[in-house]
Amino acid sequence: MATIQRPFRGTVPLPAPVRAINWWVLGAVTLASVSAMLPVLQNSSTTSRGFEVQELQAQQVRLEGEIAIVESDVARLTSLARIERRAGELGLVPATSPIYISVDAAGPAPAKIPAEYLPLPERAPEPQESGWGSLLRWLPSPRP
Amino acid sequence: MAQRKTTGTRRVWFPAAVFSLLAVGICTRLVYLQVIQHDHYAELAHDEQAASTTTFARRGSILDRNGNVMATSVDTWDLSVSSRAWKDPVEAAEASERLALLLGDDAASLRDRVANGETVDVVIGRDLPYEVGAQILDEQITGTVLYPNTDRVNPESNLAYSMLGFIGADNTGLAGLEATYDNLLQGKPGKVIFERDTTGDPIPYGQYIASDPVPGTDLVLTLDRRLQQIAEAALKKGMAEHKAKGGSIIIVDPATMEILAMATSPSLQYGVAITDSSQLELLRNRAVTDLYEPGSVMKVVTAASAIDAGVVTPDTYYHDSGETVIYDAKIKNWDNRSYGDQSMTGVLINSINTGAIYMQQKLGQDRFIQYLDAFGFGQPSGIDLSGEATGIMRRPEDDGWTVVDLATQSFGQAISVTPIQMITAIAATINGGELLTPHMVKAYIGADGSRQDVAPSIRSRPISAETSAKIRKMLGQVIYPGHPAEPNLYTAGGKSGTANVPVPTGYNDVQIASFIGFAPLDDPKVLILVKLDENADLKTGAAAAGPIFAELVDQVLTYMNVQPDATYVEAR
Repeated sequence: MATIQRPFRGTVPLPAPVRAINWWVLGAVTLASVSAMLPVLQNSSTTSRGFEVQELQAQQVRLEGEIAIVESDVARLTSLARIERRAGELGLVPATSPIYISVDAAGPAPAKIPAEYLPLPERAPEPQESGWGSLLRWLPSPRP
Repeated sequence: MAQRKTTGTRRVWFPAAVFSLLAVGICTRLVYLQVIQHDHYAELAHDEQAASTTTFARRGSILDRNGNVMATSVDTWDLSVSSRAWKDPVEAAEASERLALLLGDDAASLRDRVANGETVDVVIGRDLPYEVGAQILDEQITGTVLYPNTDRVNPESNLAYSMLGFIGADNTGLAGLEATYDNLLQGKPGKVIFERDTTGDPIPYGQYIASDPVPGTDLVLTLDRRLQQIAEAALKKGMAEHKAKGGSIIIVDPATMEILAMATSPSLQYGVAITDSSQLELLRNRAVTDLYEPGSVMKVVTAASAIDAGVVTPDTYYHDSGETVIYDAKIKNWDNRSYGDQSMTGVLINSINTGAIYMQQKLGQDRFIQYLDAFGFGQPSGIDLSGEATGIMRRPEDDGWTVVDLATQSFGQAISVTPIQMITAIAATINGGELLTPHMVKAYIGADGSRQDVAPSIRSRPISAETSAKIRKMLGQVIYPGHPAEPNLYTAGGKSGTANVPVPTGYNDVQIASFIGFAPLDDPKVLILVKLDENADLKTGAAAAGPIFAELVDQVLTYMNVQPDATYVEAR
């Protein structure tokens, strides 16, 4: 059969461009971005934590200094000279010779301490189960 | 068709060779720097980046036996101003105004000091109160640099100051217990080594090696602050009453030789700086540094030795003619009296010199010297206070020694002791015969709160417990009813001493009056030495120091909650 070879005169449409997202590329770009950002973020976080640590250390030193000052104040306020001065201001005078007396009668009963300040009563120890008893407990109990 | 092989021309090979050579040169240099010279450059880099700071350890506190603070440290600041930072007049004016307000100083004066300072950092103040320094830090005043420091504070002010001593600007103990126990009190400073950035701040998570400072050990003294106050008040009153130039009072527990109180005068004043060399003698704690001839107090040691050796008993009698002649030397009694027949107890009661010589002669030369050695004479007592004098005891091997020296030593001449040595020896005569080391520190409290108690240390046992009991009884009879040293509330025993001060040509007119005694008689809780130096009223030891002793016994034992002997009080 014979065929006629004629030139094609019409237009052939180009294949439509692929609009689908290439997830592999996107994933790689994201991974690269995150990898790049991570050290920056870590560094930034570390720096700010470092400053916080420095501040806390300074605060600790300051508090220790203040504790020492308070202790020194307590020592000064409890010194003999100050106690004597305050006692004088309150109208107290040095004690004269104490009088010692002997009492034959029994002393008063000690004051009762409120229950909440007393130590908890000790619980009585539970009766110890014998070795045989504990072994028998493992056996299936007979049904009624 | 055959392909033609391209061959390099000089234009290609020459630059290639040059660049190759350069590359080889760079690589060689890199290998040299990074491999061969690695350690050297690593060290240089470390030195550049690493910085270190020393953190001072807090100095330990000194507490009395009941835990009351006698000396402690508080944080302070040393303030400097950088003169470079204050070069700009406007900035300097603003900064100096703010600083002056906080320091209570004059701004112009501050600017002058900084401008005329010889160094870049000009020291403006040392040991500034902590709060002031903290405010300067908060306000970030230009040019100010604050260095942490500590200051020593004695809440009881002058009380026991000559014993406690003081520290220098570098926080090192210079006198007293602060110097003796400096190693313990100082602690160990900490050190921080860190990598720093360009501004000098530590690089977070850089290399950081830190050793924490170890705070100093706290010292718990044997001293009782109330007893110290009583002793100091009694000494002051006694010196004023008898116009004495100085004096010492020591109160000890004879069973342990713990020093309960030690007052000396003249002494250092808290907060008063030593400005000239004449004040240096105030640094001496006279109770441990100054020697004196004990006088008749020594008769107690002579009697204890003779009774312990068995050559006499308390009831052994001898005849006192009023003087003893040794070679050409006539030795008389202190009052030139003759007491006739006297027991050894009578020798102590009447303080008879010839009786002491009698006991010494009974003992013999060698044994008497052996006993003196056993009682610790001529040796330091070992007290934990700096500057203790050894004492002087003339011995047969010394130039010019004669048996007269031996005889006079029996009643406290030709022998020099410190007050602490004397009270240590007398303690041995009444505590059962044990010569103990006197000590000021009862316990150490470490930084971790652990407590280590100091046990009494026995140096020797010069006499037996039986002899000691006899001596207690004899000394109890010395304080007869109506004796100036008789306490109101408690039974007591003791012996007085009055001695002239030796000079190269003999003895001068000034005297030292002393009394040493214990109470209660049966179970001594305290042993007290009262010594008045150069009392102008020339009263004897019994008359001048005795009443001070009596008053002290009543005050001290009442404070210590020792119940008075009811029978004794009723009899009085």
